[in-house]
Amino acid sequence: MKTKTHFFSLFLGLLLIEPLRSQVPVEPKKNVFAGDDWKLPTAQLALKAAPGAEQINANCVLCHSLDYVSTQPLLTRAQWTAGVEKMKTRFGAPLTTNQIPALVEYLTLNYGKP
Amino acid sequence: MARSAALAASAPWWRGWAEETVELPFAQGGRPLVKYPQKRPLIRLTARPPQLETPFSVFNESLLTPNDAFFVRYHLTNSPPPAEKLQADTFRLAVKGNVAAPLNLSVEELRTRFENVETVAVLQCSGNSRGFFEPRVGGGQLGHGAMGCARWRGVRLADVLQAAGLGASAKQVLFNGLDTPFLPATPDFIKAIEADLALNPELLLAFEMNGEALPWLNGFPLRLVVPGYFGTYWLKQVNEITVMDAEYKGFWMNPGYRIPDDPCAAIAPGTTPKRTIPITRMNVRSFITSLAEGSTVKAATTTLVRGIAFDDGQGIREVLFSTDGGRNWRAAELGQSLGNYAFREWTIPWDPPKAGRYALMARATNRLGQSQPLEPLWNPAGYMRNCVEPVNVSAT
Repeated sequence: MKTKTHFFSLFLGLLLIEPLRSQVPVEPKKNVFAGDDWKLPTAQLALKAAPGAEQINANCVLCHSLDYVSTQPLLTRAQWTAGVEKMKTRFGAPLTTNQIPALVEYLTLNYGKP
Repeated sequence: MARSAALAASAPWWRGWAEETVELPFAQGGRPLVKYPQKRPLIRLTARPPQLETPFSVFNESLLTPNDAFFVRYHLTNSPPPAEKLQADTFRLAVKGNVAAPLNLSVEELRTRFENVETVAVLQCSGNSRGFFEPRVGGGQLGHGAMGCARWRGVRLADVLQAAGLGASAKQVLFNGLDTPFLPATPDFIKAIEADLALNPELLLAFEMNGEALPWLNGFPLRLVVPGYFGTYWLKQVNEITVMDAEYKGFWMNPGYRIPDDPCAAIAPGTTPKRTIPITRMNVRSFITSLAEGSTVKAATTTLVRGIAFDDGQGIREVLFSTDGGRNWRAAELGQSLGNYAFREWTIPWDPPKAGRYALMARATNRLGQSQPLEPLWNPAGYMRNCVEPVNVSAT
């Protein structure tokens, strides 16, 4: 008990001498997850059910999950149009010109500023 | 920042498939915290391909960012590449193009044939903090957690290129990794750097991070390390290096990853740049890491405020600290240097004189005199945010 008190006083003393040093270590902790199995989580987001959602599911998810849509700020119709056209012209999405308006409509109404 | 599932019950779309969520401080900022292989639960921006952000509190846990919390950013659908392509007997690095003797090396051959070296360097995504842009811009809506600082170990890229006999007419060096698109028409993720930069002895082909093998999601078994440059060049699972006599014109160099051709990489908000150039070096940043937005400290008691600062390798000269929204500043104490490319710790004692609200700010300057703007700059891709980031706290 007495030893404990001495240690406590010593501890307090050290605090008084050097009260304000960063307590953050340089080295990170060892990665306890290093040995995990290399299995990616499979659960994926479903978009809002509304007219046009089937086309989104049939086209966009070929290449990317739908959080690519849901995490965007509320984009204007012009911005969503540019986004969908970029998927076709830059990334090679197999969309016909006729399919684009329905996708833009859905995105603008559900994830944009109509 | 972390909210319990119950608090986030009003959030619509992740209920039922994620245990916890966070709310990044901008519109549409709700994100699930998801556990990935070799990672603790991280802030998930996207699932396929995976983009994971480091919770900001991690930057006050250790100066080097833990491997299990280090951010993840892939571009192509089939990412990360499958384990069977990354094994000792399957993975090979090819060095080809304008070289005297093309190479085809295992990681073990790299490790034994070339000198092993270490560097501590910050890896930061070009679009780190994009979610804070106003007006908002499209792209990955990241908070401040797409950065990290690690001790990288590997071999010098220059040694490997010299072993292959880089041609005298070499102009650029191209890097490709094993990640692939779903559609053949989607441009493969290939990045080019100038030959002069490729021969800089600071660039590494790294196989270790913080004394451990690279995590799968951070590029196992081999990634490029380009100290001072944004993460877009730090290719993961890099298996192909091609020396070119001409300038590479692929999508991910042009029009991808371009900034306005202006010393500040900025233009008037909402406008279009006249001319663009590839994004390259990082600009100066600093953060307060020991106090989060909205936190509380004791009035008339000394609190040690801590944070980090970094730049593109000039080295941090000074960090100033303000408790009154930038009217008055005083110099913080810089911690031990882990090298000019590393996070630099800074600390400063602060004794809030009375109860009330305080707008805390940190502002770093590097050895070239480059600093951080007080107000955000803007560009249409949402790259290179580096303004002073205020943290509002209350003293009680």
